Amino acid sequence: MTTSNELENLLRGMLREFLDDRRVPAANIDQLSDLDLESVQVMEFMLEVEDHFDIAIDVESFSNARTIQDLAQIVAKRSQ
Amino acid sequence: MDLLSKFEAVAEIPRQLNGGSLDPTNVVMDQLVSATEAVVQGRSVILAGTNNYLGLTFDAECIEAGKRALDQAGTGTTGSRMANGNFTAHQALERELAEFYDMPHAVVFPTGYVANLGTLCGLLGADDCVLLDADAHASLYDGARMSGAEVYRFKHNDPASLDAHLRRLKARATRTLIVTEGLYSILGDTAPLAEFVAIKQRYGAYLLVDEAHSLGVYGDRGRGLSDAAGVLPEVDFIVGTFSKSLGATGGFCVSAHKALALLRYTSRPYIFTASASPSVIATTRTALALMQKRPQLRQQLWRNAHELHAGLSNLKLQLGSEISPIVSVGFDSREAALACWHSMMKSGVYTNLVVPPASPDGSSLIRCSISAAHTSEQIQCIVDAFANAIGAAESAKGAASV
Repeated sequence: MTTSNELENLLRGMLREFLDDRRVPAANIDQLSDLDLESVQVMEFMLEVEDHFDIAIDVESFSNARTIQDLAQIVAKRSQ
Repeated sequence: MDLLSKFEAVAEIPRQLNGGSLDPTNVVMDQLVSATEAVVQGRSVILAGTNNYLGLTFDAECIEAGKRALDQAGTGTTGSRMANGNFTAHQALERELAEFYDMPHAVVFPTGYVANLGTLCGLLGADDCVLLDADAHASLYDGARMSGAEVYRFKHNDPASLDAHLRRLKARATRTLIVTEGLYSILGDTAPLAEFVAIKQRYGAYLLVDEAHSLGVYGDRGRGLSDAAGVLPEVDFIVGTFSKSLGATGGFCVSAHKALALLRYTSRPYIFTASASPSVIATTRTALALMQKRPQLRQQLWRNAHELHAGLSNLKLQLGSEISPIVSVGFDSREAALACWHSMMKSGVYTNLVVPPASPDGSSLIRCSISAAHTSEQIQCIVDAFANAIGAAESAKGAASV
């Protein structure tokens, strides 16, 4: 079973790769609300997370996640 | 920081887009000469970005019908459909739309935006889900948000992504409304509706198709992409607008479900907005009849679409994968698209500049929409204006690298 730390690290890795692919600089990727992402990119990342974990995340919950920890909680809850 | 501080950043937008005296987001048409020509800042321009697919805005029969309605019913309804703004002509248009689609129910709204807001708000409740195509129009997204339903998105035009999302929603799939468009307004690509219908049937979900840009364009009778794909009876709700092929303003929803008729009691955007003016309803009804009487308009539209696409293909521009009346040219940067737009205006051609965040995939585009009313000469002018703009950009690049 994946621990919350493992899940956070997994999401962190996915996000880092996503940002690197799009050349979006980010000093602190844990703080999702500070990332300089366009709305299209936020949605692309949401679709990527949904596919990776085979879960459905509604747009509002995803948008309300301010940190990587918030996102990990959403993923954990939807994966149950 | 106070209430209005955030507008300091907004004020940068027109400054960034302004290449002289023209802001692409605020072009003023000083005079409309015809369905395909206007005067902007004292110069004649060819309109190559107005969604006037059948060119009916200056049709003599439509204008006459509008004038007659002004004389007979006045300038406005001064109220909502639920109160005093429900005229015989509004109901007649609803009947005509229902007959046109062979569906029993139709509701008319004062704009296309309100049609989407009103339909989604009226249909969906807090316990429902809405599954939107990732590129769906802002009005569909706004309506979904406003309804209070849980909003999910699937990858643009991707049946596998739609299927996966419905599977993940499990039992809630039967309370899910899938929302897609027919012809997409920016890139001019079309939804795989037959596949979407097969998937929604497998899960017991519902499907709404926005035919805003495909009404009058697709299908033997101009009923849109659902009809062209042979799945019109299987689509639960069709929404559309009068402000493109029908040359007016307004929107509608048609359906075989009786729930649509009851939406008049559940949809706040329907209940609390003033109804369309009699003259607008009159020109819409006439245009709807003409669209059916004159299939040659649609045939001419497609001939023109192919002609423009061929002309731009010869210039080796970045074009979309499908040929349609919407032809978008991709650019490597926002600056390049902006420079091209200004150059096109100087050449006397009005197009639409589409840059992030307005573009669906984050790209920068010049969007053209062709009309049945464009002449071959005008289409050649559009192609020549692109050639000039690209040529000037190449020369500037060459000069810069010397």
